[in-house]
Amino acid sequence: MTARVRALLIIVGLATLPFLLGGCGLGGLSPIFPTPVSPNGQDIYDTYLWISIPAIVIFLGVEVALLWVVLRYRRSRRPAGYVPPQVHGNTRLEVVWTAIPLVIVLGIAAYSFNTLLKDFQPINDQQMEVIISGHQFGWVYDYENGVVVDQEGTLAEQVTPFVVPTHTLIKLRFRGTDVIHSWWVPAISGKTDAVPGYENFSWLKIDQVGTWHGECAELCGAGHATMQINVQAMDQIDFDNWMSRQKAALASPSPSK
Amino acid sequence: MATTVLPRPKAYDDTFFKPISLWLTTTDHKLIGIMYMVTGVLSFVIGGMFALIIRLQLSQPNLKIVDPETYNQLISAHGVTMIFFFVTIFLTGIANYLVPIMVGARDMAFPRVNLLGFWLIPVSIILYYSGFFTGGALNAGWTGYAPLTEKAYNNHSLGVDFWALSIIVWAISGIMASTNFLTTIVALRAPGMRFSRLPLFVWAQISTSILLLVVGAPLAAAMILLEFDRQLGTQFFTTAGRPVLYQHLFWFFGHPEVYIMILPGFGMISEIMPVFARKPIFGYMSMVAALFGIVFLSMTVWAHHMFTVGMNVYVEGFFMLMTMLIAVPTGIKFFNWIATAWWGSIEFTVPMKFVFGFLATFLIGGLTGIYLASVPVDTQLHQSYYVVAHLHYVLFGGSVFTIMAGIYYWFPKITGRMLGRKLGEWNFWTLFIGFNGTFLIMHTLGLEGMPRRIATYANEAWATTNLIITVSSFLIAFSVTLLLVNIVRSWANGEIAGNDPWRANTLEWATTSPPPPYNFERVPPVRSFMPVRDLRESGELVEDPVPA
Repeated sequence: MTARVRALLIIVGLATLPFLLGGCGLGGLSPIFPTPVSPNGQDIYDTYLWISIPAIVIFLGVEVALLWVVLRYRRSRRPAGYVPPQVHGNTRLEVVWTAIPLVIVLGIAAYSFNTLLKDFQPINDQQMEVIISGHQFGWVYDYENGVVVDQEGTLAEQVTPFVVPTHTLIKLRFRGTDVIHSWWVPAISGKTDAVPGYENFSWLKIDQVGTWHGECAELCGAGHATMQINVQAMDQIDFDNWMSRQKAALASPSPSK
Repeated sequence: MATTVLPRPKAYDDTFFKPISLWLTTTDHKLIGIMYMVTGVLSFVIGGMFALIIRLQLSQPNLKIVDPETYNQLISAHGVTMIFFFVTIFLTGIANYLVPIMVGARDMAFPRVNLLGFWLIPVSIILYYSGFFTGGALNAGWTGYAPLTEKAYNNHSLGVDFWALSIIVWAISGIMASTNFLTTIVALRAPGMRFSRLPLFVWAQISTSILLLVVGAPLAAAMILLEFDRQLGTQFFTTAGRPVLYQHLFWFFGHPEVYIMILPGFGMISEIMPVFARKPIFGYMSMVAALFGIVFLSMTVWAHHMFTVGMNVYVEGFFMLMTMLIAVPTGIKFFNWIATAWWGSIEFTVPMKFVFGFLATFLIGGLTGIYLASVPVDTQLHQSYYVVAHLHYVLFGGSVFTIMAGIYYWFPKITGRMLGRKLGEWNFWTLFIGFNGTFLIMHTLGLEGMPRRIATYANEAWATTNLIITVSSFLIAFSVTLLLVNIVRSWANGEIAGNDPWRANTLEWATTSPPPPYNFERVPPVRSFMPVRDLRESGELVEDPVPA
C-alpha cells in the first residue's frame, strides 16, 4: 500500500466517523444532549443544532481543502526540480476570509445572546419556588413549607428523588453551604453553580411524567462522584398526595424518609 | 559580491557530553534551551503516566483501582504537570534555543537571568511534587478552585501550599524569561533584521512573552492571597469571602495561558509549512496582525470559564462575543497556512506530517470552542467530558502536535543528527490514531452527562465508550515511547544532518549543526524574512558537502 492510499484511507475513515456515530445513535455515543423536557433545555438544544450547521460546513470544507492539498500538491506528483509559484499573499482573499468568519461568529453570538436573554435572567412569574443547597456530599431541596428532601449522595443506589409537579414553572434558588457545587440534569437544562456567599438561580418547567438523572459537575472533594441527582416529575394530583405524605411524616413522631 | 562561506558541518561533536559542572553553570542559551526541553519531555512522560492511571480507573464503571482522594490528586497532578511543567516549559526551551539564532544574536540579552529563570523550574517542580510527601498533593484540579483549597476543607496536608508556592516560583521564572525574550528580540537583532523581516516564530514569541508578562503577576497574586487565607487567616476566597474572585484572578491568567501554549506552536507551523511546501508564507503581515489580535482578545475572555456562576447576562454576552471573535484571527492563520500549501510542492517529511496532523485536529478543537463560547450551550457542556475532549484537541492536537513537528524539524540542528524517518512515521500514525481514538468519542460522554473529574461512575451506558478511550490512550503511550526511542537512538548514531538538511529559510540553518558557542562566526546578511533562502538563490551560500 502506498503512503498516499494509506493517508487517504485514514483521512476518509476519520471524516466519516462522526456521521457513523451520529447515524447509529449507539449507546454512549450520542452526538447531542438527551431530548430536553424543559423549555430552557429545549432552547439550548436548538442553539446547539443551529451552531452545528456552520460548524459542520466549516469542518467539512477545511478538511476537504486539507485533503486536496495533501493529495494534489505532493512533491511526488511534481516534475523534478519543479518550483511552485512564489505567492506572498492576496489582499482581497485575506479580506474575504476575515470577513466571512466574522459574519458567521456574529450570527452565532446574536442567536446565542437571544437565548440568553430569554432563559437566563431571574424570573418572577414562578408558580412555585425551591431552594437547592449543595453540601459535601449531597443536595437539600427546601420547598419552603417545611418539607425538605434530603438527597444524600451515593453511588450504590438511586438517590432520593427531588419531586416536582408537571406543568408548573418552578424557580430554583441555589445556595452553597461549604464549597462550590454545580447542579446538572442534562435532560432538563444546563448547570447552575451553588456558590457560598450568594444565591444563584435557574428554573424548570417539565410537561411530562418521568424521572431524570444528573450529578454534581463541580469538583467538590472526595465524594464528588457520589453527588447524584434524581428529579421526578408527577402529575399535580400525585404531587399533592406526595406533599401531604411528606407533611404527615414531618408531624409524626418517628419520621421515615 | 562577497561570498558567505559557511563552516564545514560537523560530523558529530561532543557538545552533549560536557562535564556536569558546565551544564549547571552555562549561560549559553542553547544549552539552557536543551535543559528546558529535556525537563519538558520528562514532565510529559510523568504527566502521561498520571493520565494512564486515570484512564485505567475510568475504563469501567465502579472501579476502585485508586480511591477518590488519590484520584483527585492524580487529575490535579496530570493537569499541573502537562500545562505548567511540560507544554509551557518545552516551548520556552525551544524558543530559548531558536530565538537568538533566528534574529542573528550571539546569546540572550540577559544570559545569567536566563540561567536563573531555568533553574527556578526544577525548584518549582520539586516544590509541587513535595506535596505528595506531606499527606497528599493538590487535590482540587489544576485550577485549584477556592473554597475547596481553603484550610476549612483542605487541612489534611500541605499539598495546596506546596502547589501555590510552586506556581509563584513558576510565574517568576516565566516573567524573567519573557522579559529576556522581548529584550533580545528588540535589542539584539542582526544588521538588516528589521521587525518586518522577523521569522514568524519570533513574532509568536513576542506575543507569547507579552501575554506571560501581563498575566503572570495576577496568577502569582491569586496564589499569594490563597496562601494568606490558608496560613494567616484572611478571608479573601473562603466560604465567608468571595470564592468567585479567585476564579476571576485564576482565569485572567488561565485563558491567556492557553495561548501561551499555542502561539509558539503557531509560530513553528508558520516556519515549517513554507519550507516543505517550497513557497513563502502566505500573508506574512496578516499572520503577524492575527497574532496580536489573539493576544488582545485572549485577555478579554477569561469569564467564559465561569458562565454557570450566575453573572449578569450582558456581562456573559460580552465575554461570549469576545471569545467568538478569537475565531477570526485564528481563521486567518488557518487559511493562510492552507494557502501556503496550495499550489506548493509538498514534501511529506515527518515534521510536515505533524503539521498536517495539527491542522486536521486543531480545527476540531477550534470548532468545539465555538459551541463552548455560546453561553446557553456552555451551561450544558461546561465541566463535562466535552470540555475535556475540547481542551485536549487544542492542547494535544494543537500544542503537542506542533511540538512534535518542532522536535522532528529542529532535532537535526540541535544534535547534528536526523531523527529516524521510519520510527518517525510510526510515531506520527500511532499518535494521530491514538489521539483521535481517545478524544473524539470523549465529546459524546460529555453530551450524555458525564461530568469531568468524577472518580468513578455507575452508569453502564458509558462503559464501552470509556473502554475504547482507555485502550486508545495506551496507543498514545506507545507512540510517545517510539518518540523517546527515536530520540535516544538518533542522538547516539542517527544519520549526520549537515547544516541545512531541509533547505530552509531562517538564520539557524546558516550555521553548523549543532551551532558553535555564540552561534555565528560572521552573521549572514539579512535581506528578507527568508535570509538563508536568499543566500542560497543568489549563490552566496556555499555549503561544504557533508563528510561521508
